[in-house]
Amino acid sequence: MAATTIATEAKTTHSTSRRRRSVEGKPFFAVAFTALFFVLLYVPIVVVILFSFNSKKSLSVFGGFSNRWYVQFFNDEGLQSSLRASLMIASIAMVGALLLGTMLALALERVSSRPARAVGTVSLVPLVTPEIVTGVAALLFFTGLGLKLSLVTVIIAEITFSISYVAVIVRGRLSSMSGEVEEAARDLGCTSWQALRFVTLPTIMPALIAAGLLVFALVFDDFVLAFFTTGVDPQPLSVRIYSEIRLTISPAINAVGTCMLAVSVLLVALSLVIPRLFGRKDSSLDLISGG
Amino acid sequence: MSTDLQDAVAATLPGAKRQSATRTRLWGWLLLPPAAWMIVFFVSSILIVVALSFGTVNANGRPAFGTSLANYQALMNTTYLTVFIRSLVYSVTTVVLCMFIGYPVAYAIALHGGKYKNALIAALVIPFFASYLIRMYAWSTLLSDEGLVNQALHTVGFTDGVQFLNTPGAVVAGLVYGFVVFMILPIYASLERMDTALIEAGKDLYHSPLRTFFAVTVPATRAGVLGGVLLVFLPALGDFVSAQLLGGPSTFMIGNLIQQQFFESQNQPLGSALTVVLMLALLVFMVFYLRATQRQNRET
Repeated sequence: MAATTIATEAKTTHSTSRRRRSVEGKPFFAVAFTALFFVLLYVPIVVVILFSFNSKKSLSVFGGFSNRWYVQFFNDEGLQSSLRASLMIASIAMVGALLLGTMLALALERVSSRPARAVGTVSLVPLVTPEIVTGVAALLFFTGLGLKLSLVTVIIAEITFSISYVAVIVRGRLSSMSGEVEEAARDLGCTSWQALRFVTLPTIMPALIAAGLLVFALVFDDFVLAFFTTGVDPQPLSVRIYSEIRLTISPAINAVGTCMLAVSVLLVALSLVIPRLFGRKDSSLDLISGG
Repeated sequence: MSTDLQDAVAATLPGAKRQSATRTRLWGWLLLPPAAWMIVFFVSSILIVVALSFGTVNANGRPAFGTSLANYQALMNTTYLTVFIRSLVYSVTTVVLCMFIGYPVAYAIALHGGKYKNALIAALVIPFFASYLIRMYAWSTLLSDEGLVNQALHTVGFTDGVQFLNTPGAVVAGLVYGFVVFMILPIYASLERMDTALIEAGKDLYHSPLRTFFAVTVPATRAGVLGGVLLVFLPALGDFVSAQLLGGPSTFMIGNLIQQQFFESQNQPLGSALTVVLMLALLVFMVFYLRATQRQNRET
């Protein structure tokens, strides 16, 4: 930080160095390339949104604005029950993962015994395991136990996959919090639980909210795990979309996709903004970008 | 470090030791539910995959545990080996492309993003939380024979049309689009942490921005690049959605084979063996990766 300031000062005060910099200029290549990158990043998303309002039943010719595909989506009982199923899965998985992930984070930050460290390592493995492996494993586990695949099995698989995310985000916040604060609360007569309830939890609340929103967005959109662990009826929205796009091409899928995009964009945007509203600088953005 | 000090101080106080022991026990209890959950639903389910990969399908088509190597022997034919090699080639190509695309983007945002830095990172992250399936579907409609890209080419004069779908290029493009953010973020983070005075010094020393870039910036961000390589390679090697929606049987990857065994052929033991092969490939990769990062840590 200080180095940056010194560097900028040096740049503005010494005309020689400024001249040298202006000869080099900004790296136009990198900047132009980045602009192109962002265009390509958003083109498919914009196309999905645009064609969800298409009055024609075409994915390449735009015939004018219409809400017919949204009307179709909201009148399709199958899609509606899938939407409700996905919202339910995401809500329950969010609560479950928050509970278990926060317990894990608290314990790992405070206990440094060998088994605790082992659990800490194991809890990171899902983050580096491809989803298809987790999906296959969950499927075999449930069928091996003779459990019928249903929304419950999807929820269990999604919680397992999300605990690690919550633990990483909450640990990030906990490690920047001084243990002395809790110590002080106990010195003032709090029991351990009271210290946890009135001191630690409020401090990590922004991280909990951010983690919860991210888990909701991830689970709501997740396809691979849901695909391997879902039963027949009702299916999560992403699984249902997958079978529809393999069978036919229907612009109604664009409308469903747009709604899903809206949900995740809203949640991720909130998870970026909320910690800042609490006056914290460590939003999930910094955690994601490792800053 | 401060906790070590605290513990040392606390240990000298009367009665303190007992208190910290009850505290640890409390946190130990907190560890129990998540640890139990992970062991039951994650660790044991992975072990079931490994066990079933030695199993067989019995007469009524149901999977049974066993000690047979038949599934692994069945994988030793050219059809499967072709798919393994193809998956590796696609994933490595994806990683390399992500590196060449991700580095300039991370560089531009970190060093020339100015006050828009955070907004740019948010703009980068948000699409990647949007459903991967929807994004792949979007590309499949864009690149289809009657899609917008071909229409645009048609108006420019390429009247023959280009077949994008079902080509290796489309599958790799899908993987790059899907995972490039995992390359950009760690590189961005290491560029952010880097002392920009180093670049200034490098410019004085080398008198060339390009030489400075390769002699100063790239080595300083090697940890970020290595992290990105890991984060892109892992999901890319296990992916099946891109090959399913943008490719076809001629571009299928190991993930598609796994998915077929579980949903079409109903041969769970063979599917498990394929999954174990995928896990082993990733394990080998992880070992090399950890070696590389350790060497990196020792050097710096």
